[in-house]
This record gives sequence, structure tokens and C-alpha cells, in this order.
Amino acid sequence: MAAVQSRRPIGRTLLIWCFLAPSLAIFLLYRVLPLLWNLVLSFEEWSPLRPPLWVGLDQYQEMLFDDAVFWQALANTLLFIASAPIAIAIALGLALLVNSDIRGRDIYRTIIFVSYPLMTVAVAIIWRWMFDERVGLINYVARALELVDRPIQFLNSFDWALPSVIVANIWQMLGFYMIVLLTGLQNIPPHLHEAAAIDGANAIRRFWRITLPLLRPSLFLCFVIGMLNSFTSFDLVYVMTGGGPGHATELLVTYIYKLGFAQTRFDYAAAVTVFFFLLLIAITGAANLLSGGNAGAVERD
Amino acid sequence: MKRRTALKGALAGAATIAMPHLARAQGSRKLSYLSWNIADQEALFKQEFADFQKANPGVEIEWLDKKGTELPAFFQTQLVAGTAPDVIDLQGALWVEYAASGALLDLTPYLAREPDIAKLYNPDYLASWQYQGRSFLLPFYVSKTLLFYNKTMFKEAGLAGPPRSFDEMLGFAEKMAKGEKTGFLTLNFDWLYWPLFKMNGIELLSPDLKQAAFNTPQAIEVLARLAKATESGAINKISWTGRWVEPNGAFAGNTVGMLHAHSAAYFFVKGQGRWINEDTLGVAQMPGYWATPTNHGFAISKSSKNPDLAWAFIKHMAGNRWATELARIRSLLTANIAADRAELETIRKEDPLGAAVLATQLEHTDKFTGDWPLPFDVQIKDAFYPEIQSAVLGRKDAKTALGDAERAVNRVLRRRS
Repeated sequence: MAAVQSRRPIGRTLLIWCFLAPSLAIFLLYRVLPLLWNLVLSFEEWSPLRPPLWVGLDQYQEMLFDDAVFWQALANTLLFIASAPIAIAIALGLALLVNSDIRGRDIYRTIIFVSYPLMTVAVAIIWRWMFDERVGLINYVARALELVDRPIQFLNSFDWALPSVIVANIWQMLGFYMIVLLTGLQNIPPHLHEAAAIDGANAIRRFWRITLPLLRPSLFLCFVIGMLNSFTSFDLVYVMTGGGPGHATELLVTYIYKLGFAQTRFDYAAAVTVFFFLLLIAITGAANLLSGGNAGAVERD
Repeated sequence: MKRRTALKGALAGAATIAMPHLARAQGSRKLSYLSWNIADQEALFKQEFADFQKANPGVEIEWLDKKGTELPAFFQTQLVAGTAPDVIDLQGALWVEYAASGALLDLTPYLAREPDIAKLYNPDYLASWQYQGRSFLLPFYVSKTLLFYNKTMFKEAGLAGPPRSFDEMLGFAEKMAKGEKTGFLTLNFDWLYWPLFKMNGIELLSPDLKQAAFNTPQAIEVLARLAKATESGAINKISWTGRWVEPNGAFAGNTVGMLHAHSAAYFFVKGQGRWINEDTLGVAQMPGYWATPTNHGFAISKSSKNPDLAWAFIKHMAGNRWATELARIRSLLTANIAADRAELETIRKEDPLGAAVLATQLEHTDKFTGDWPLPFDVQIKDAFYPEIQSAVLGRKDAKTALGDAERAVNRVLRRRS
């Protein structure tokens, strides 16, 4: 009897593993192994046509002490990430607006959301034309309003290029953030606001004391997704500026691609990727801590 | 008698079994061909393949085309996977890296065995595909930089003809820059801007290619003048930031005096600019006659299982008949002497301006620049050009930018030596 009882859990466990096996195999094959291979590669000198040579920390040494482009790409990536809270703040404003009783709010919601499902490449092309100095809408309006004498070379200027790309990125993500925050807003029980209003709390106080704390999970979700999006904004930057002018819009992800596939330095690209991975883990961990330390955990009764 | 019959029977049986296998082996001769952004020539390629297959029965040809931005990454992945195509179309200086690392077949013995083949091609173009004295590619189609100029803007500025020196070029550009109009534009990818430095006697590297040689007072002066001209609007800023469509599009907009670009730009510019005709567009060599080539050539992967067949294939593709056909359809030059002669004759009747553009491609072919035989050309380019951009776009002064560029280039050279 006891043997039968102990055999049952083993059978169930086996069954669970059988169901999990295909996914785990794919995860192992396409995620874990490449990650490990990438780690090994970062300590080697290797190219598709040369046998690997163990060089220890040489690649990391070059990256940290000898490569100005790496530092610029890192700074740009952090700036890109820092733009996520700006986008979230704008989206929160819009969400509050379309959550109120204004007329035509469904239309506004749709208009704001419509940027998100667009392909990033399409967004990049749209904004490249918007910023164009000859036929771009922004320069056209600026000149029509006599704000500038000569067209601003947004994407060709060291000063304007990164902010321009960030604007495009914010525009694309705005709709997504707004929907997430709107859902969060609609989940806040209305009686909390009513009770606070009866107690004499004005709208600003209610926003800081009720809306914002209860929106924390949605804000965290927006931040994590925004951060991941900033980290992987390869297509947007690649199509809009190619990382230029100079390296003014180079992100770590575009730099890794160029190192690997333009310069054929897969070994060095692997070292930058390891750094990139660790940075991603660190920032996600920090964001999790800031949001209370258990964001994303399933609450159990 | 019985033993003989049995022996005959056994031999016949063995032959019967072996024959299909042999036929299959012959029939499985397969060539894979990877081309670079020329999918529009599918009809022509199909004819070329059919013609090749007629001469080489049983050969299968697998053709794949990739866009220029995708091809290097795709090819590298194939190399790692051990599935490199037999024949590959390579553009610019990319081939040097592959040749140096042993991915390409050395064609020198083939050319030595068949000396008449080399005679088919312009020797300067053919020589541009040599690395350490060995040849690695046969010409597919070729192009080099030249100067296009807007005759109307020249006339308005009181200029008689194209500039003959760097000073004149900047002076002319200054004269034409007014309001939205700018005087000069250059393409900048793949060292296409390098003739601007070369015409001033500036060398990128020392003769042994081991040290940066460009950080000289002369180079500082040239760069400072380019920066000043860019600041004043004499040189259009797109020169330093645009890729291909933007600068060519700007020139087609009829607001730029001169365009330094490769011949391939002509048809794009003409297609976009309705103002373009023989009376309004002039073509000339750059001062000093220096030009940067952007050629396409056929290479054979060293890992090819059928190298002799691949050699026959590239001879076929780059031979007189099909080179002539490609030149005619695409209105370009191929470095195949007979094909180019025929194309120039044809195009002179149909498009004299186009003929003038193509004619520049066969002049001064001994003055190629910007095509150093370096296996890590891209790394040098990535170390050098951002600093030049910083200077011409006013972020750094010329001296600082060249100093920084020198350090960056020497670092690459040290690392790779």
C-alpha cells in the first residue's frame, strides 16, 4: 500500500517533467547554452575562421579601460532607460485624462494606443521622415512658425540625434503604458476616492495618497517593460541613425551587433554582451527592490 | 565457360549497381551562389544558369540573394556552420578579411593556368582584388567615385567648369552656398570621402600599413577647412551623416552644386531629379583624379566541394557574353573590356550623359584610393570616421579629432598586429 502511494507522486512528477521537457529543451538549447557559450567566448580570441585562443580577461580589460565607444554606448543606453519614467509620466497623465468623463474618450484611447502595435521599423521610418530637414513635418512647422531660419538637422546633429530617437521611442511606447496604467486606474475601487473626498482630501492629495500607491504594480510593469524595450531598441536606432552621427546614438545593443557582424569581433562582442546581461539583471533587481521586493509574485490566500 | 559467364554476369551486375550511383554522383554536382542585393536580375541569372547547365549537364545551381546590410552577417553565419556558398558576390573591401582568414579560394593558380582569362579584364580593376600578391575575385560589376556638378548653379555663380584643385573646389562651393543652397556633398560610406584627403597628399597609414600616418599639419589644415566649409554651408552637412539615399536625394533636389559619389548614384539622382539633362548636369573627375572604388566581384569559398566547377561558373558569369548582357540591362560597367566597350557604344546613343558618367569609370583607374588591403578595414574605418565626423560637425577641433583618431587607429593596428 505504501509502495503504491509513493509510486503515484513519482508518476505524477514524471508526467510533469514529460510535459515540461520540450519547453525546457528549447530553453536549454536556445537560451542557456548560447549564454554559456557567450560567456566562454568572452574569455577567448575567436572568429569564424580562427581556432579559439584563451585570453583570460583581455576583452574585459579592453572594454573597461581602452574603448571610449563602449562607454558612450553605455551612457546612451542609460539615458535611453532614463527616458522610460518620462514616457510613463506622460502616459499616466493621458491615462488619467481618458479615465475621466471627457467626451470621446474611447477615440482618444484608440488614437494614443495606435502607435504601439506598429512595427518598430515602421515607427523608425515614420520618425526619420518627420525629422527630415528637407521634407520633415517638424522642420516644416518650425519654419512656417518662423521659429528657425534654417532646418534643424535632427538626426544628423550630435546634440539632437539622441533626443530625437528617444522621442520616437517614447511615442511608440506611450500607448502601451497608457493602457496598462488605465487598467490599473480602473481597478482602484471608487469608494476609496469617495471616502477620501468626504474626509476633505482634495484631488492632488487623493492622487498622491490613493491613486499612485495603488498603481505601483502597474507602474513597475511599465518600468520593467520600458527598460527592456530601451535595452533592446536595436531596430529603432539602427533604422533611424545607425548609431550615428559618430556614436551619438550608439546603444550597447547596436554596438554589440556592429562588433559582431560588421567588425567580425565576436569575442569582444561576447564580453560586451556579458556586461550588458549583468547590467540588465542589476537594473531589474533594483527596480524590483524599489517596488517592494516582490513585484510579479503571485499573491496567495 | 560457365565460370566466364558467371564472371561476366557478376561484372554486369556490379556495373548495373554502380552506374546509377556514378550517375547520381555526377548528377549531384551542386553549386550554391550567394549574390549581393541584385535580386532584380532574376531573369538574367536564370538565363545565365541555364546556359551554364547546358555546358555542364547535371549541375544544380542554388541561388540566394541578400541585401547589402544582411549579406556579411549571413555569410559569416554560413562560414561558422560550414555551409558557405560555393560562389559569393562580395562588395567593397569586405573580401580582404575573408581572404586573409582563409575563407576564399586563391584564384592565382587558376588565372596562371588560363592566362587568357585575366586579359579579359581591366588590369587595374582586376589588381584591386589582390591580397599579398594573390588574386581572389573576378569582376562582376564595378564603380568608382566621380564629381557630378549642377551646371545651372555653376552658371549662376559665374563658374565656367569643374574645379581642378581642392582650393577651387571649396571656393566654388562657397560661391554657390546661399540660403538653402549648398555647394558640395560627398558620400561617406566605405571611405568614399577619402579622395578629399588623398588629393591633398594625405596618407591614412604608413607604407607598411602598421601605423597611422594621417596626423600631419597638412591633414589638420584640410580637416579644419572642411569643418569651416561645413559650418558655413558650403559643404552640406548630409555629407558627413547621410548614407546613400539622403545625399543623393539632396543633390537631386537641385539645391547642391557638386556631388562626389560613385557612378551608381547617377541613375538614382536622374530618376529623382527632373531637372537633370546634358545641359544641366556635368560630370568630371575629382581634382587629382583620385577615386574610391566600390566594386562587386565573384569569389569562391575555400570550403567549396566543387572548386573547379565554381571557377567555371564565375568565368561563365564574368565572361564576355553575360558581362555584356548585364552591362546592357543594368547600364553599368563590369571591368570586362569587351562588355564595357559594347555598353559604352550602346549607351552613347541612348543616354549620352549616362555614357559620360560611365566613361569616367574607365579613366585614371591607376588612381584608386581608399581601398587598403587590410583584413580589418572595418575596424580602422570605425576608429577613424567618427572622429572626422566630430571635427566636420564642429564637436572637436581638427587637431584634437585627428589626435584622437590616430590613437584609436593605432590601437586597432597594435591589437591586430
